Amino acid sequence: MNLGKIRQILRAEVIVGSPLDREIEVCCACDLMSEVLSCVPTGSSCLLLTNLAHSQTIRTAEIAEIPVICFVRGRKPESQNIESAKKNGLVLLSTYFSLYEASGRLYKEGMPGCSGSRVS
Amino acid sequence: MKLSELVIKFDLKVKCGAHELDREIKGGYVSDLLSDVIANGRAGEVWVTLQIHHNIVGVASLKSLAAIVIINGREPEEETIKKAEDEGIPIMVSKLPAFELVGRLYQAGISGTR
Amino acid sequence: MITYPKAPKIQELGYELKVRQAMNRNLITVEPQTSMSKLRGVLRSNRISGVPVTRENKLLGVICVEDLVNWLMSGAKDCAIEEKMSKDVVTLCADEPLVHAINKLQQYGFFHFPVLERESGELLGTITREDIIRKLLQKLEIEYREEEIRRYRASHIFEDIMADKTSLIFQYYIVGQDFNRAGESSSALKKSLKRLGTHPDIARRVAIAVYEAEMNVVIYARGGEITVKVDPNQIRIEVEDSGPGIPDIEKAMQPGYSTAPEWVRELGFGAGMGLNNIKKCADEMNITSTVGKGTRLEIYVATKKESVSYEVK
Repeated sequence: MNLGKIRQILRAEVIVGSPLDREIEVCCACDLMSEVLSCVPTGSSCLLLTNLAHSQTIRTAEIAEIPVICFVRGRKPESQNIESAKKNGLVLLSTYFSLYEASGRLYKEGMPGCSGSRVS
Repeated sequence: MKLSELVIKFDLKVKCGAHELDREIKGGYVSDLLSDVIANGRAGEVWVTLQIHHNIVGVASLKSLAAIVIINGREPEEETIKKAEDEGIPIMVSKLPAFELVGRLYQAGISGTR
Repeated sequence: MITYPKAPKIQELGYELKVRQAMNRNLITVEPQTSMSKLRGVLRSNRISGVPVTRENKLLGVICVEDLVNWLMSGAKDCAIEEKMSKDVVTLCADEPLVHAINKLQQYGFFHFPVLERESGELLGTITREDIIRKLLQKLEIEYREEEIRRYRASHIFEDIMADKTSLIFQYYIVGQDFNRAGESSSALKKSLKRLGTHPDIARRVAIAVYEAEMNVVIYARGGEITVKVDPNQIRIEVEDSGPGIPDIEKAMQPGYSTAPEWVRELGFGAGMGLNNIKKCADEMNITSTVGKGTRLEIYVATKKESVSYEVK
């Protein structure tokens, strides 16, 4: 799904990063970093939906090569973490929806998850 | 939707609280952070989480959540199941990851907290 | 860096380069009042096939060889260029991507276009097919050279050193309990491995394994050290910490089992998956631990010879 469309669906604000015109292949909704590290498939472009807006989320995204993070519940990271994300070419978004709502809406619009399974 | 329907519809494995499945579900919540659930969870919601340690039961009880659904096929700890049985909190397990399960719940009409 | 499907190189350059960079600023123009008979001399001595017609640097039109020939064929009655020029000029702006120029070449079948400054409309120069080709080749050559240098550096570190066995050792220090800096070492390691020419998939696996190990040290221990040994066949990592140690290693390896305090879970860690993730990423993993003293983790990742040395074709 196009990142611009994702942004629309989540009514998300762009905190930092561009371009928005790119394809995101899978979505992972998770607050536990170890899980993120083990479930994100290599080589796919992934969107991480999470509550946690601290430095380790940015770090995990960098290590796992996740290009976009969307924080939920209007959460935003501190400025030094935003800078860190910017340096690494990450896109950070923030949506007012809860993790549940955000996941539900994206899934409904056809966004696949990491496991690759879908029920149409 | 009742918990029992949820179990059937989404192929969940019931770990405990099988006799409590008649409850009506009021909504859904997904989070792995206890403080977050304590702050924002609402009574009657189904809580989707990765966490398997016994503290989740305390939180579910405190917020009068309908049930806990553990994802990624993870097994709750023995202590967790025991505590859940004592407190009357049903625990179910799904093989799916959070995003997919929540997506399906959402599509089935179980809404989240606004 | 995150990449997404790449367009063919030329196309990519076409978007990257601007008309401004390829255009010819050597501006030859004619005045509208100049006579047609003078035009032939201008075209011939400058070896151009067309020329912009300007008054005070403002583009009024374009006159080319074809117009000259038509004028000759119709009797060559002398007149001002103004009367024979085409006023309908196809132009390009200096800040447009080169690909627009390429497209216009195809679209119009002309080989030269005047280039204007977007804001002022001032004529800056012209761009021809030759200019475009020359610029693209120039850029391709530069990029090829840079790529060659990069690859050379990476692949020959091991090959250029004459020894029976070559390996590179580097170390990182981990400060316990410092969450803000946690992950710095694995991040630096990943960048270093990529610099050495390690296959990106292997660098990623190593980075994930070391990150989990680093987090364990930060969460549980007072401090620790990561020692990385890279040789052409494998990467060996040792993570040693001063901390409480692990009383029951077998239990610690169980997915989901965690002794992490609550505040750690609130930060997204302590889900009990760390050691498992490391095991999944590594080819081999060994843990030893002494309660009250610390823990030592050894991780091995095999790297095929091709992954650290490219063949420059």
